[in-house]
Amino acid sequence: MRILLAEDDTTLASQVKTLLTAEGRVVDVAQDGEEAGFLGSTEPYDMVILDLGLPIRDGISILKEWRAAGLDMPVLILTARDGWTDRVDGLDAGADDYMTKPFHMPELAARVRAMLRRKSGRTNPLFEKDGVAFDTRNAKVTLGGVPVDLTSQEVAVLSYLIHNAGRLISRTELSEHIYEYDGDRDSNTIAVFITRLRKKLGSDFIQTIRGRGYMVDAA
Amino acid sequence: MLSLRRRAMIGGALSAMASILVGAFVLLSSIENNVLDRFDRALADRHSQLVVALSTTANDPTRLAERVYDPAYTTPYSGRYWQITSPDGQIFTSTSMFDAALKEPFGAPSTLTRRSIMGPAGEPIRAVYQKITLEDGSAWGVSVAESLAALTAERQQTRRSLLLAFVLVGLLGLAGAFLQTTTILHPLDKLRRDVAKRWEQDEDLTTADYPEEVAPLVDDINELLARNRDIIARARRQAADLAHALKTPTAILRNELALLAAQNHDMEASVEALDRVDAQLGRSLARMRAANSGAAANIRTDLSNSVARFTRLFTSMAERDGKTVRTSCAPSLSIRMDQQDIEEVIGNLLDNALKWCNSEISLTAQKWDEGVEILIEDDGPGIPEGQEREALKSGGRLDSSKPGTGLGLAIAIDLLQAYGAKLNLEKSAKLGGLAVRIFIPGKLRTVAPQKAAA
Repeated sequence: MRILLAEDDTTLASQVKTLLTAEGRVVDVAQDGEEAGFLGSTEPYDMVILDLGLPIRDGISILKEWRAAGLDMPVLILTARDGWTDRVDGLDAGADDYMTKPFHMPELAARVRAMLRRKSGRTNPLFEKDGVAFDTRNAKVTLGGVPVDLTSQEVAVLSYLIHNAGRLISRTELSEHIYEYDGDRDSNTIAVFITRLRKKLGSDFIQTIRGRGYMVDAA
Repeated sequence: MLSLRRRAMIGGALSAMASILVGAFVLLSSIENNVLDRFDRALADRHSQLVVALSTTANDPTRLAERVYDPAYTTPYSGRYWQITSPDGQIFTSTSMFDAALKEPFGAPSTLTRRSIMGPAGEPIRAVYQKITLEDGSAWGVSVAESLAALTAERQQTRRSLLLAFVLVGLLGLAGAFLQTTTILHPLDKLRRDVAKRWEQDEDLTTADYPEEVAPLVDDINELLARNRDIIARARRQAADLAHALKTPTAILRNELALLAAQNHDMEASVEALDRVDAQLGRSLARMRAANSGAAANIRTDLSNSVARFTRLFTSMAERDGKTVRTSCAPSLSIRMDQQDIEEVIGNLLDNALKWCNSEISLTAQKWDEGVEILIEDDGPGIPEGQEREALKSGGRLDSSKPGTGLGLAIAIDLLQAYGAKLNLEKSAKLGGLAVRIFIPGKLRTVAPQKAAA
């Protein structure tokens, strides 16, 4: 799952990115409002974490622009503005959740997970099928109860397929959601990740529909 | 200080009174002099008639009465008299003198001499005397006199008529002064109304709508209004900047400490210190916000709109916890309070209610004659009787089982106080939990906002 983090403080951005990456997310950081607006409008993010007090452009105006353009990715506002008017303005502008600084990392992680789950229409944080269990809370995978060791990119591929279980995902779409903005997007490597995941999780867990993409059946 | 209207009225009345007094004095003196002149001329004419009559009857003055015929001369004490003193000192008088005689002026002057003396009936009279020398060389003292009663009556009548006229003129003057004052003060009255009206609508006054004497004042008021709004906006911006500048680093620190704790370092004391910093920061920033309330800006807020905004927010928040929010607010209900301030109050109170309720919270806003009442209720445990005072204390927390700073209620109270509004804690009759009753007066009654806590 690919997340846009719009935060001008590089240290905080790096901390949040580390946290989310550890859970198998792919994170792009935008350090000002202009970059955030551009990335959010052009890249297919699964969710956005948006600071309101960004340089160049204010977070609220970016959010309104996205919503006016029909972009409906979940947006979590993460801001130092803790006034109720700002909070209501943010949610009225189209945000899905609002967190104020200072915050606890575990709470942020939990809110991000909850929002991603809601987006995929799932309520249970644990996905289980054919002996494979995927815990969206910590990106831990087990096969028949035995922990499976996955690389971060394997987790990213698996996480996106599981969050979209029951839906056919093209190789292009998959690559758009597992690579960072400036990452090397060679879609051929997707096939390599799929092969590795099949080796680790069993060959039937991920189906290949030739010429069209991949799919994990809904649990 | 004495009002401008009263000053103008008193000034106008005093100047009108002075003009009337001086006018009345001058006019009365002039009229009285004219009346006396006329009286004296008539007296002199009668004196001449008597002299002419005397010249033909000098050899037998007793026949004089026949020659100067006037019924008034024949009626005793009629008020009209004549008297002749012959060269040998014999006195002849009109019958009206009865048995009295007029005292001749000292030295028996040969020029016409006027005097005011007492008459035969003891009444004040005006007398004219001249010593006349006839052609035969004989010298006669000739006097005519007339009672002043008619003159005095005429004078009094004139005074009365004039007084009535001047009272009327005075009243007209006062009415004029009132009209003039009202006309002159009209732009100031309009200014006062406009300031109140446009302040509410956050608009500037139009200088061209006022006379040139008032226009500079209008400019000054516009500048003051703009500066007032600017000060509040700047103070709020500074508080927001400060919040941003401090909260981001503390968030970073917190994350670093969590990371170290995960690596089995003992970070308990540091985390606890950071918690204290965060709590103090939250408290100080909240106080700053209360101190920068928009109370001084006299702004009106559409309460119905704010309630609708909070209904949307809290309904979605409550749904996640399986709770219900009910709100009821009359349409187009407005209050004399800044939007950010009232939303901070409602937000904090609804947040508290949602935190403590079992399954339901409610907000009702209604208008009364004197202002607007907002009632926020929940079906939670409420506040034990007698502990309301403790709950109203800044940061006072009766129960620490739920997360929070205990500041929400204190912030709400500080903000409401800045507008002269009231907050009471009660038991909810509808839901059984706590009811927070707020009353916001319709007329502006600002009190000095509390200073930010150190």
